[in-house]
Amino acid sequence: MRVDPLKKSIWVFHLNTGSCNACDIEILDALTPYFDVERFGIKLVASPRHADLVLLTGPITRKTLPKVINALRAVPRPRYVLAIGACAVGGGIWYDTYSVIGGVEELKKILEENGIEIDRIVYVPGCPARPEAIIYGVAVLLGLVEQKVHGEVKIAE
Amino acid sequence: MSVEEILDIIREKLGGIAEDIRYVESAGIIVRVKPVNLREASHIVHDVLDAYFRTMMAVDERPINNTFAAYYVYGLDDKGINIIIETHADPYTPVLPSIADIVPAADWYELEAWDLLGIRFKDRKLYRFVLPDDWPEGLYPLRKDVDYTARPSPRITYKPPLQGPRLPVGPYHPALHEPEYFELFVEGERVVDVEYNGFHVHRGIEKLAESPRFTYQKVPFLAERICGICGFVHSVAYTLSVENAAKIEVPERAQYIRSIVLEVERLHSHLLWLGVACHLLGYDAGFMHSWRIREKVMVLAELLTGSRKTYGINLVGGVRKDINMDKITAIRNTLAWLRSEFAKLADLVTSVPQIVRRARGTGVLPRDEARKLSVVGPVARASGLDRDVRRDYPYCAYKDVSFRVPVYTEGDNLARLMVRVEEIFESMDIIDQLLDKLPGGSIMAEKIEVPEGLIGIGNVEAPRGEDIHVVITGRGRPYRWRVRAPTYQNIPALKVMLRDTPLADAPLTIASIDPCFSCTDRIVVIDLKTGKKEKLQTVSIPGGCGCEI
Repeated sequence: MRVDPLKKSIWVFHLNTGSCNACDIEILDALTPYFDVERFGIKLVASPRHADLVLLTGPITRKTLPKVINALRAVPRPRYVLAIGACAVGGGIWYDTYSVIGGVEELKKILEENGIEIDRIVYVPGCPARPEAIIYGVAVLLGLVEQKVHGEVKIAE
Repeated sequence: MSVEEILDIIREKLGGIAEDIRYVESAGIIVRVKPVNLREASHIVHDVLDAYFRTMMAVDERPINNTFAAYYVYGLDDKGINIIIETHADPYTPVLPSIADIVPAADWYELEAWDLLGIRFKDRKLYRFVLPDDWPEGLYPLRKDVDYTARPSPRITYKPPLQGPRLPVGPYHPALHEPEYFELFVEGERVVDVEYNGFHVHRGIEKLAESPRFTYQKVPFLAERICGICGFVHSVAYTLSVENAAKIEVPERAQYIRSIVLEVERLHSHLLWLGVACHLLGYDAGFMHSWRIREKVMVLAELLTGSRKTYGINLVGGVRKDINMDKITAIRNTLAWLRSEFAKLADLVTSVPQIVRRARGTGVLPRDEARKLSVVGPVARASGLDRDVRRDYPYCAYKDVSFRVPVYTEGDNLARLMVRVEEIFESMDIIDQLLDKLPGGSIMAEKIEVPEGLIGIGNVEAPRGEDIHVVITGRGRPYRWRVRAPTYQNIPALKVMLRDTPLADAPLTIASIDPCFSCTDRIVVIDLKTGKKEKLQTVSIPGGCGCEI
């Protein structure tokens, strides 16, 4: 499936998969007067069915996993995910504990087994990610700024 | 009253059933009883001595003394001393009597000990509580012979919705935002019962701290990530418990810096809550103003510690960042600005009829119920319980400052709002006093050695209430670290607050305890008469406090 870039105001859905809330309050910070992303048309919506972009925060815990899968299934295509914070990016400090699946990469594998495709993931690292970084991540997704780091593995000779 | 006098009273009351009574300075008076006498001892301590139930720690002590141990921590608030009932269960089939009917607040602790350690409690219903439903039977992650990476592969099962008018339908249907889940049973517009399904944010922190990945000095950083809103509280509580256990002398200046950062954190957390409460009542102007003011506090936190959240300045023995004159000036400027701005906002919020009339008389928690459930923090203070850990069990630099503890007797949502508004003003005064008295000297203890096998308790008054950590020291890292976040005590009180109240007040009442569930709360409403279900409202509640460790 060809993925068109988003052209209009993007509506975001906030999916907390087991986060400690630091990234979540920074998302809210971005929505409130100081950063005020609503002036760019970015709006928080309550249902994944209305969302253009999923803001995923936190490591994926075992208990939230079935709910996360259901939520992402409800997101219409193209399905974009902004993985916010160190935990969402790679599992963070919890990457190998008993009750956590890991970061968004592990989630992606499980989603593929369940037939759910994610069209693009943008990673916003940080613990917690700053509001500026979150806004930058959205700008990367929209193609307004260049992505700085790419997922290539370079091996030293 | 001195410790000796309290010991005499305890010897008199509990002497007949106790195997051993001893006083440990870092924790309190430890009374060891046999499991058969646990109920009687709990009754005497909780009801006769009127001690407040604070926490319970279950430990796998098989490598040490071949038993499972449980430590029930009670506090005598007016004397500032803990009474700990220690009991040991059989290593092969650990069974303890349940005390949930004597101490209602112990209910969750027993369920958690069953789930994570496999200690069975007699004469009560035990069910899966913390771990997910598909977790294999007989695998208890907090036991020492289970590796912290033991990760059984998840089975993704979809539960069919349950049938029948009196049953909750679909707790596991796309629950989306929220890692916590309430089910309200309603008759028409009135709530008749509440069910809570939580622990979605259980990340295995306590086990992780015992793993080889961590050392004493690394755990504070882990502790900060328990909660993204009041994380510093957890790291201070952890460091206090280790310092108490090992008797590490922390320099005064470090204690002052900790207290200042704790109060800055309280400011941001209460402002956050106030905004959310306004938002829930449909008063978005108040929400935006509150967050506009809060942003200055975040900038101040960044100046003081280097980050907006998860400050990372705390270590066992002291802090990593000092405060210089520039920073003191910046704090004073911010406080002056904050005082005038917040006074305006507080005036507005406490006079707007759409807030006052919705908050007054709703979500009432009577004093006796509050006492029974051992609620903490603003929830307790709004129900007439005069408790504040900063005053009752002084830590850091709080013994050097004077402040008022706001107490209201109404127990409704307005009282909880007023407690928090007043605490913001008190916090600003406390920071001012701390800055005036800030002593010189170093910020890190010189000698940090933690011997093995000691018990230490650290408590901190978090924005949401009393946060208490219990540590048993081990080699290089804690042997057992028990975290009890404030919301853990407060959520059971929601059952009382929500019962027989109008449905429309439910979101505010749930938010009024400043709950731990992260971000968005979704409530499924089930009509008992028709069996119809609907989603009540999806609201962004940045209320979290990762209570689920």
